Amino acid sequence: MANNWAPKTKVDWFLTVLRVLALGVVTVGLLAFIAQQISVDNPFARLINPDATGLTVAQFRGLVISGLSQGAMYGLIALGYSMVYGVLGFINFAHGEVFMVGAMTGMITSNKLDDAGLWESNFIGSLLFIVVVSMLVCTLTAVIMERVAYRPLRKAPRLIPLITSIGISFFIQNTSVVLLGPTSKAYPDMPDWLTAKRTFLEIEGTKILVICVAALAMLGLWLLVERTKTGKAMRAVAEDQEIAGLMGVNVNRTIVKVFAVGGAMAGVAGILWGVLFRSVIHYTGFLPGIKAFSSAVVGGIGNLGGSMAGGLFIGLAESTGPLLILEPLGVSGVSQLRDAVAFAMLIGVLLLKPSGLFGERLSAEDRA
Amino acid sequence: MNGNPLLDIRGLTVEFGGLRALDGVDIQVHEGQIVSVIGPNGAGKTTLFNAITASVEATGEILFEGRTLLGLDANQVTSRGVARTFQNVRLFANMTVLENVMVSQHCRTKQGTFGALFYTKAFRREEAEIRARAEEILGFFGTRLIGFRLDQPAAVLSYANRRRLEIARAMATQPKLLLLDEPVAGMNPVESAELTGLIGRLREEWGFTIVVIEHDMEVVREVSDRVIVLDHGTMIADGDYHEVSSDPRVIEAYLGQGATTK
Amino acid sequence: MFGTRKTSRFRIAFKTAVVLACLALVLSACGDDEDSAAPEAGTETTAPATTVAPEEMGEEVLVMEHLGDGSLGTVEVEPGEAVQIRSLNAITGDVAFFGLPIERSVVLAIADYGQVHGFDVDMGTGLDDLCSNDGGQAAAQIIVADEDVVGVIGTSCSGAATAAAPLITDAGMVLISGGNTSPALTSDLAGTPGPNYSYGYYRTAHNDLFQGRVMAEFVFNELGITTAAAIHDGDPYTQGLAKAFTDAFAALGGDVTGFSAVNKEDTDMVPVLTEIAAGSPGALFFPIFQPAGDFIAEQAPGVSGLEGTVLLAADGLLNTSYLALSQTEGMYFSGPDTRFGQNVNASTGKSAQDFLAAYESEYGEGPAAPFWAHGYDATTMLLDAITAASYVSEDGSLMVDRQGVRQYLDNVRNYQGLIGVIGCDDFGDCGSGKITVVHHASSDDPEASMGNVVYSGGGN
Ligand SMILES: Nc1ncnc2c1ncn2[C@@H]1O[C@H](COP(=O)(O)OP(=O)(O)OP(=O)(O)O)[C@@H](O)[C@H]1O
Ligand SMILES: [Mg+2]
Repeated sequence: MANNWAPKTKVDWFLTVLRVLALGVVTVGLLAFIAQQISVDNPFARLINPDATGLTVAQFRGLVISGLSQGAMYGLIALGYSMVYGVLGFINFAHGEVFMVGAMTGMITSNKLDDAGLWESNFIGSLLFIVVVSMLVCTLTAVIMERVAYRPLRKAPRLIPLITSIGISFFIQNTSVVLLGPTSKAYPDMPDWLTAKRTFLEIEGTKILVICVAALAMLGLWLLVERTKTGKAMRAVAEDQEIAGLMGVNVNRTIVKVFAVGGAMAGVAGILWGVLFRSVIHYTGFLPGIKAFSSAVVGGIGNLGGSMAGGLFIGLAESTGPLLILEPLGVSGVSQLRDAVAFAMLIGVLLLKPSGLFGERLSAEDRA
Repeated sequence: MNGNPLLDIRGLTVEFGGLRALDGVDIQVHEGQIVSVIGPNGAGKTTLFNAITASVEATGEILFEGRTLLGLDANQVTSRGVARTFQNVRLFANMTVLENVMVSQHCRTKQGTFGALFYTKAFRREEAEIRARAEEILGFFGTRLIGFRLDQPAAVLSYANRRRLEIARAMATQPKLLLLDEPVAGMNPVESAELTGLIGRLREEWGFTIVVIEHDMEVVREVSDRVIVLDHGTMIADGDYHEVSSDPRVIEAYLGQGATTK
Repeated sequence: MFGTRKTSRFRIAFKTAVVLACLALVLSACGDDEDSAAPEAGTETTAPATTVAPEEMGEEVLVMEHLGDGSLGTVEVEPGEAVQIRSLNAITGDVAFFGLPIERSVVLAIADYGQVHGFDVDMGTGLDDLCSNDGGQAAAQIIVADEDVVGVIGTSCSGAATAAAPLITDAGMVLISGGNTSPALTSDLAGTPGPNYSYGYYRTAHNDLFQGRVMAEFVFNELGITTAAAIHDGDPYTQGLAKAFTDAFAALGGDVTGFSAVNKEDTDMVPVLTEIAAGSPGALFFPIFQPAGDFIAEQAPGVSGLEGTVLLAADGLLNTSYLALSQTEGMYFSGPDTRFGQNVNASTGKSAQDFLAAYESEYGEGPAAPFWAHGYDATTMLLDAITAASYVSEDGSLMVDRQGVRQYLDNVRNYQGLIGVIGCDDFGDCGSGKITVVHHASSDDPEASMGNVVYSGGGN
């Protein structure tokens, strides 16, 4: 590995310089942060950012938890990108919209439940119910998408379904505008016992809930893929569709299942979004979709565990990065740079390890 | 021979652009036979297998147990009872040895995603059966593929073991007809001899009817009831080893190619 | 008021393309209809209330007395034709609530005003500024392509004006906005023109500097809070207003502990709030919009260090849906003084009540945002200016002197409009500049909170 990095051509030199720079910025920023945490009057911290204020432990914890909960959601969405890429070798950009459909479904269902008074009287039951409904609707959306738009393009060059997916993305967004209007809609209030800070480390219950649900969904998916014959069929199709067919695997049905499972995960993520932020609008899927896609790439697209890890990484990076790395470096207005930080992290990881943190395991070796 | 042939191929033609890889081939294979297919490089042997398993478009007729295979998807052909191995090994490299064999039982199992999601009793029983059968099949090759190897990714196996695993995987689909494409290619004489023995046992112990493509005439002589010779997409000889090996057209085909029988 | 909406490039490009295509269709299809349908049942021309004596006459002796030296050219309106003005406001998408009342106020003002020297006034089809730089630019290009247009009422959003004002004023037309508040479009109120100021641009909306100043005074003097921070969303409007607030707050002797920004699409506000919390401010001003404003109000109490911080916002969030969020309870909102009361527009004689009644009966609903009054006054001011700068020539055509229109507007002083007393300064700021601060007492009754004025100030 290290040998590969020894620069040979001009491009290699350029990349090496970029790598060193990226690592340098991160290292100096983190060191400055540590310095200013030890003491704001620390000469090193002062040197780099004279206005440094430092963070309290509670503030730092708040950042981490918020990054983790957001990242868990990215990870769930990323699974869908990763699985479809693993199996069909193209990026389904419309997957972010499936997530939005989930968030919208949850919004509609939860408000219905709220009208019926069930949301308050039986919150856990209601939450389970909207998760199930959202998973079903998203599964259906993803499956229809595969059947109508992608299956006819199965033999076409991969660029074609990719562009199609962008078109579908617009289609779903605009459909949402037509059906639900162009303004943001809110979930009903979460119960107080959930939003209140738990005594445990003073974390809000919503964030604990989000992290737990995401972990459960991830575990379920992992069991499905690793332990069941459906999962084995998916992996077989991902490795080699032709051989999988010759070994008796129904390739079409398996691909449908891949979309279905990815959709279901996006459905769960949609509800988690609702729990965290309560507000949905037709473009809710856009940015989280791109972040989730980045997560999949950071983790090593095609690798499911990697997607989840990539999600957490991107979530943490965008949440803590601005204050941990940029602020100590004296950059001002850092919070607006969170998206920039997230995507810079993506580029940084790709510079250091082009195949992502966990390489490419699920798909066949010949994929670029 | 007695009764209807298991595999009945009539006028099979496969074209790639202008090239006729197979040109009106007629072949019958009866249940319980071991038939070798030989011929110079590029004769169309692999293409014959590809046509049977729906990997290439073909015209003519392929009847299996009296019903056509043409127009089916690959997995449907497998469900009907045809399995194959590949000239250049094509395993699921990232999956473990056990998983390779388990996934190939896919079309023989009933439990769906529902059972998997809710982890039903029936589902668990079936998973256990699948696993047991996989281990039984792998055990056929001695100790090489069981034990700690069960959970190794296929990619790390030795070349000979990969070839064995390919056969195991084909066996797992529970076929009636097994198509082996150059099973001993690249093996050393010891391994080759051992595998030759196994081909016979595949018929005796597992009841498969077998068509095997082979260049090694030693192997061909040893295993086959019948030998079919292809050249330039047409069948030029069909008979037992001695008939075929003395057929002047066969000799000419090989010498004409400037090739030996290795 | 709103500036460029920095949404995703995709959406902007897409929307722009679609809207342009629609616009082209509508314009080509409706052009003729509008012309023939425009003449209103002619109320006799109301005499313009203010007449400014022409200060200088052109070299040539003109047939009638009028303002202007002809240096920007003359628009000739032939007998039977109408004087052309335009409306350029945000009338589609999620900002339509804000621009549509302004466009409608233009329609109603033209109807109330009647003819100019016996000529009808035609607004054409209302154009859309899309609340964006691109939208303003595209629409302005359509407008300046028509040489008969004398003046434009718009834009709604400051970002759109940044692109539209130079194009429109370069063509000799005037642009009068009922909704722009960015100081960059006029001046810093201390004699320095803003970077985006162009001569020929006027507005009846207040300059944000007034609003920032009044909010700062309220926080520092009335609430007695001495530390404050501000958050904007990168949009020139919110950034300018946040800056106006912190500058004024510092000038009063307060301590500005933080100044940061979010993106409009952000949902997780914990990082930015943590950044702000590091300075432990007593008050936090975020003059932004929904949905980002929702997330700040909801997440602020959960961030350690902001538990007791007073939350402040501007009129962009002063609407019933925002006030209905329980976490917004106790917040303060600054905004233009909308207590128009018995004010009467001097040119049409209509009061705010008259206007609202006409609006209801015409559109079946009340205006969704308060800048209708500013749009109305802007329109009557423009029509007064055209009246003063035009004459009927021998062949019966109306001759409008473009330079005269500006000359008139430059000299507007003590003009009574629906919004109060209007007077234009050297950089086009004509609004009354009156700002009020509203206290949100209970999320159960948002309507009541909307009018709960606890402080007012500003004004010329
Ligand atoms: N997919 C394909 N597209 C085009 N031509 C093909 C294809 N597959 C096979 N051919 C051609 O068809 C002919 C027969 O090929 P085939 O692979 O069946 O030969 P073979 O008898 O198996 O030879 P070998 O002993 O080398 O394996 C060859 O000329 C080959 O180039
Ligand atoms: Mg071959």
